[in-house]
Amino acid sequence: MNAIQTFKLTKEFDELVAVNAVDLAINKGELFSLLGPNGAGKTTAIRMLCCLLKPTRGTASVLGYDVVRTPFAVKDLIGVSPQETILSERLNCWENLALIGKVHGLSSNKVKERSKKLLETMGLVERAKDQVRKFSGGMKRRLSIAMALVSDPQVLFLDEPTLGLDPQARRAIWEYIATLKGNKTILLTTHYMEEADALSDRIGIIDEGRIVALGTSQELKTSTFKMRSMAVSTGNLTPEVVEDLQHRYTRLEMSRGKLKIYHQDLSFQEIVDYLHSRGVTVYSAALEQPTLEDVFIEITGKQLRE
Amino acid sequence: MKSWEIGKRNLKEIYRNPVLLGFLLGMPLAFMLVFTTAFGGQQTGPIGLSIVDEAHTQNSSAFIQYLGATQAITLRQPIYSQESQAQNDLKDGKISFYLTIPPGFGAANQSQQTVNLQLVYEEANPMLGLQLKAIIEAVGSQFLGVAPALNVQLTAAASEISNPVVNFFFPGIAVFGLMILISTAAEIIAEDREKGFLSRMFTTPARPWDFIAGYSLPFIPVLIISALIYLGVGMGLGLTVVGNLGYAFLIFFLIGLSSIGIGMIVGSLVKSASQTGVSWIFIVPISMISGAYFSVDSVPPAVRDFAGALPFIHAIDASRAVINGASLSAIMPDMYWLVGWAVALFATGVVLFRRTMVS
Repeated sequence: MNAIQTFKLTKEFDELVAVNAVDLAINKGELFSLLGPNGAGKTTAIRMLCCLLKPTRGTASVLGYDVVRTPFAVKDLIGVSPQETILSERLNCWENLALIGKVHGLSSNKVKERSKKLLETMGLVERAKDQVRKFSGGMKRRLSIAMALVSDPQVLFLDEPTLGLDPQARRAIWEYIATLKGNKTILLTTHYMEEADALSDRIGIIDEGRIVALGTSQELKTSTFKMRSMAVSTGNLTPEVVEDLQHRYTRLEMSRGKLKIYHQDLSFQEIVDYLHSRGVTVYSAALEQPTLEDVFIEITGKQLRE
Repeated sequence: MKSWEIGKRNLKEIYRNPVLLGFLLGMPLAFMLVFTTAFGGQQTGPIGLSIVDEAHTQNSSAFIQYLGATQAITLRQPIYSQESQAQNDLKDGKISFYLTIPPGFGAANQSQQTVNLQLVYEEANPMLGLQLKAIIEAVGSQFLGVAPALNVQLTAAASEISNPVVNFFFPGIAVFGLMILISTAAEIIAEDREKGFLSRMFTTPARPWDFIAGYSLPFIPVLIISALIYLGVGMGLGLTVVGNLGYAFLIFFLIGLSSIGIGMIVGSLVKSASQTGVSWIFIVPISMISGAYFSVDSVPPAVRDFAGALPFIHAIDASRAVINGASLSAIMPDMYWLVGWAVALFATGVVLFRRTMVS
């Protein structure tokens, strides 16, 4: 049984199709990222899986429980960290965690024990008794994730967990999420490609409500880009060498002594050796990896941040 | 209990918010202080006078009309035919003075005999009683055309009220204070909806009833504490509770429930917390036309009728009456209004709030 399963999951708001016939099968213990630009349908998909929105068509289940027919069974099993940092601003960390824990039916002792551990992990112990309205964005975000975890859910939904955070705070949250991998099923939405790349077991690229690509980061890159590329900075390139390179490789781009060579099964050593053999000075050379953004652009023709 | 946890959180959000508390407690207390200080012991406008016409003659009617035309006096309706009715209303705090025109008023006037009238006033109002006596003697002599043919006997009705100004303002301002619960409840609900806190809570296994209880019950201790604080300050300013305090609390409780219901309605309908400010457009004028700060006799009949269809005027009238000594049976008509509105508004609030949980 998959932890999360959707079949033709669709949500329409009047004329707008926010999520369009999405099929997902997320394994237990998997960290799955939905990557897409703002408005792609990521949050709407999560809201349906958290029983906050009823699908227009299709079905969705979490650990075998249908989100429409058995919403309270689903809610018992999930933890949610919403996109906006939503906390009770005049409560302190303990009180925010206790609220969620006790609403999930945990005993006071259990809530205390789990809260203590989470506050230590999230580095919030020193400010645990302060009202959270005085916290920075990063601290609020960490507490929000702790609130999603306090009930020890089997399935965790993290909607843009690092949105608006500085790189340092973002990295700290990534490190924590990475520690959860394998123990919990995590569905993470993001529009940061580095985030999806760094954390995910598998990635679903979503655009205009549709899943346009699905696989591991490497699978997405290799299946999208059949060719690899290499950038070379040279000193004394002759027209003869350029002509020869054009014959040897699939595509060649040149600008001010810089070469960009595209070819399937590109060999770094082979190119450097060839250039040396033809008397060309090589100042620098590097094989280039496509990024998930390149994948997104290649598939949708749009920038990820559009 | 899940509802208890949600309710506890909401209670903390209220009592840790100085702005909300300032509105909820500070404003009514400031009003109480300002009004009782500003108007304490002074009559600023015409004196309200009730009439008991035991003569029932053309002459007595003409005299009443003549009195009514005097700027210094406002004749209060209805004109009583029996003194016992006026006595009861004086006891209930509904009126402060009444003038009895005895049988034989017309005959005494025609035979040039001295006409004896009886002016009864609340014991706590001797200065105004004397002032009124002088006015009636002057106006009466003018009416009869011969001076001093009119003798107004001044009688003090027993009253335990030490400061009638405080006893007048306290119930009105206490009800106004409880009307502020409209804005408080609306703001908490609207803010939690706007900021997504409710959505977050909807992803937990809490049931709809947990939310309904968690978002309505915390206001009840707030209501009770507010009423107690108002009462404490009122007593400090000289409030005399002659009647049954329990009835007064029951009235405050019922009007508080209505206010919470309206707050839930507003909070469920508005798009953002800032829009809950519209509730003040309702709270302030309604408290005014409901007689919180001045007698409703002075507002146009159409406005008075409108206010009469709402619960607040009934809460003010009934609490004023029970504090001044009226029995439960005397305020039963007001209680029907209060119970009816409390049930209707609270139920509507629950239904609309429930609807916010359904996408």
